[in-house]
Amino acid sequence: MDAPAIATRDLTRRFGQFTAVDNLTFSVAQGQFFGFLGPNGAGKSTTIRMLTGLLAPTSGQVQLLGFDFAAHPIEIKRQIGVVPEGLALFGRLTASEYLRFVGRMYGLDRETTNRRTGELLDFMNLADEPKKLATDFSHGMQKKLALAAAVIHGPRVLFLDEPFEGVDAIAAGTLKAMLQRMTERGATIFLTSHVLEIVERLCSHVAIIHQGRLVANGSLDELRTGVALAGDQASEKLTLEEIFLRVVGGAGPEAKAEAVPELSWLA
Amino acid sequence: MAGLSARPGSAGTQPSARSGGIWSPLARGQYAALVWMQSRIFVNSLRTVRGSFELGARVLTGFIFFAMAFGPAVGMGFAAWEGVAHSRRLAVAILLWVVCALWQFFSTLAPALAGQNPDLSYLLRFPVSFGSWIALYLAHGVAAPSTLIGLLWVLGIGIGVIAARPDLWLATAATLAIFALFNLLLSRAILAWVERWMAQRRTREIITAILLFLGLGAQAFNPAFHHYGNNLPGTLAHHESARISPRVWDVQAVFPPGLAANAIALPMQHRQSGALSLGGLALYTLTIGGLLALRLQSESRGENLSEAPRRLAPGKTQGRAILDLAGPVGAVFEKDLHYLLRSGPMLYALAAPLVLVFLFGSAFRIGNTSALRSAYALPLGIVWAFTGLTRLVNNSLGAEGPGIGFYYLSPTPLRAVILGKNALYGLLFGIEAILISGLVLFRFGIPAASVTAATAAWVLFAVPANFALGNTLSIAMPYRMSMTRMRNEPGALGNSLLSTLIQAATLGVGALVFIPCNAFGHPWLATPVLLALAAASAFAYLRVLANVDRMMQSHGESLLLEIAKTGPTG
Repeated sequence: MDAPAIATRDLTRRFGQFTAVDNLTFSVAQGQFFGFLGPNGAGKSTTIRMLTGLLAPTSGQVQLLGFDFAAHPIEIKRQIGVVPEGLALFGRLTASEYLRFVGRMYGLDRETTNRRTGELLDFMNLADEPKKLATDFSHGMQKKLALAAAVIHGPRVLFLDEPFEGVDAIAAGTLKAMLQRMTERGATIFLTSHVLEIVERLCSHVAIIHQGRLVANGSLDELRTGVALAGDQASEKLTLEEIFLRVVGGAGPEAKAEAVPELSWLA
Repeated sequence: MAGLSARPGSAGTQPSARSGGIWSPLARGQYAALVWMQSRIFVNSLRTVRGSFELGARVLTGFIFFAMAFGPAVGMGFAAWEGVAHSRRLAVAILLWVVCALWQFFSTLAPALAGQNPDLSYLLRFPVSFGSWIALYLAHGVAAPSTLIGLLWVLGIGIGVIAARPDLWLATAATLAIFALFNLLLSRAILAWVERWMAQRRTREIITAILLFLGLGAQAFNPAFHHYGNNLPGTLAHHESARISPRVWDVQAVFPPGLAANAIALPMQHRQSGALSLGGLALYTLTIGGLLALRLQSESRGENLSEAPRRLAPGKTQGRAILDLAGPVGAVFEKDLHYLLRSGPMLYALAAPLVLVFLFGSAFRIGNTSALRSAYALPLGIVWAFTGLTRLVNNSLGAEGPGIGFYYLSPTPLRAVILGKNALYGLLFGIEAILISGLVLFRFGIPAASVTAATAAWVLFAVPANFALGNTLSIAMPYRMSMTRMRNEPGALGNSLLSTLIQAATLGVGALVFIPCNAFGHPWLATPVLLALAAASAFAYLRVLANVDRMMQSHGESLLLEIAKTGPTG
């Protein structure tokens, strides 16, 4: 049996006295399209940063593709791709220069790098303005460039932090198709997004984090069943948004709206 | 999915391809990619006027630094030749102590010479080995002006020694190479650790306390300095006599410069091989290298130095007003004060002038020049006080990050933003000037009334002049500035060069007014002249302030692009 693509055990990150991620234990099987959800400040980005080696955990363990991250950081980094929260582009490079740089940093030979750079630029519709610097791109174009850089080395695990934010509908559709194709070929995708419809459509499994703790984890059907049993409701009718709202607080959108104190000074 | 045919994990990314070595094929490819990337960024930066100006500033400062370093290098080479030719081992020791002290001083307390303390965090997502991480970190250190100056001086000493005693070339070359490596590692280790300590409140407080105690301890050097200082040339010339006690020689000989001096001097005097001293020096180098590696290991594992506040109880609001100033000017003042109080490097920059006057003030009381130096101690101290604020005044928007967009969105006039910042800098300068004046009075006594009055008038001239020019520079030539890291940012050089020129110009105006007045016996005349200039500079400041909105609108695009950008570099 294949080792899980991602496995954490008691993963914890503290900043001073603030615990951003608290004893997180979960695993993601290879080939899964995995959605990682949570309200703002729940610890999603901190978790992704720890899973990708951008941030050291305070305690706990991360394994990717069966390797312990702390013991084999380089081997693991060669197998993963990341679209981080801040995109981490080199603004004063052109798209082509940036992709060629990233390819070489991952150890691809020059020929492969150049070929894949051309293919990715065409695929992402970024080839029209070869002289334009990344810093002059629109946010959506920067996002596509960051995604191209994350996949140029053919990663086996791809981490995406809000990948579709600011991307137009046509490009988003193309990207989603590309990501689904990747999972069909065996890649694992770890996705965070606040757009729950996208997660519901793309992901087979979902975990929900709230105040640094894992509060739900399983396939969408498992989550529906769990929430339905707790709320005495037919499971097939529950959307991911309803599941999310029930799990992180409040009984549903109506209850949530009622709980918000009235801001009488608003027009 | 036409065109994207590669399967996951294909083409050179298999786990079996080991990649840990500092000189592995992957590492070599990464070095080449980084050099290529930097060269592309450099070439692309030349597309803009600002980029070309930055290049010009780089060439000019490089020339200035080289000119500053070359003279002393020749002098040290000559002194080394003289010392070795006459078998004076103390001469070699003193030269190496001077090089070591100045190298570390330039690296830690002179930001223009320290170069970049590189932020390599952008490499975290790539498969870069720890060995490569250290190599890249040190490569940045080698390129720092302080390192190049130090290397030039060491080279000068080496040439001097070998010219006097060619038979010592091997011992000299080996010793000086290790000595240079030691200094490089020490300077980088100090920067890396100080940055770490300054990033968090508790360690910041501890290091401040240590600096204070060191400062108090340094006062003990004062009598010793006076004792030897009055006859320093004679002391150097006749060191083998009783002027420098054998105990002082023995004590200094266990430290790296002393060990390096011994490794050269012992074979020079045909006493012994000097291998033991060389081994000691190598041991120091390894230890310092280990301390640096310890620090870099945390960085390479994705350390985060931010200070997150503890979670508040529900219902409580966070933070409290420091001064509770009303209006947008007060809001900007207070926000920048919060920024400053949370920024170790900025507090360090503000404290550095005070620490330097406190630590080294006594060094300026040598010999017969004491009276002259005392006369100018107050104005020089006040000028020095301003240096801590230079980065803030001349790049006041640099630390805003993406928040700068808010200023453009808010209904507040942009001049209120700048005014709030200037008010804070004025207050900080006032506090710094008062503290430095106190230190100067304590060390040098009360200056002449004419000097005090002229200094006060000069302050009234220099502060608005610096603010007027600083505001213009902040808008026209901004660069992104980190408040949490001690490093020079890309694009900072042009701004820094102009900042230095502004400082020199305001100081030069003061000197051009006061020195002739004093020379012709009318020191009091300087005060009204400087007051007249102060009125002119205040007028200029008000004009700049009135034009801030127009300037910020016309530079809006470049300001947002430069300051609000996210990502690793450029």
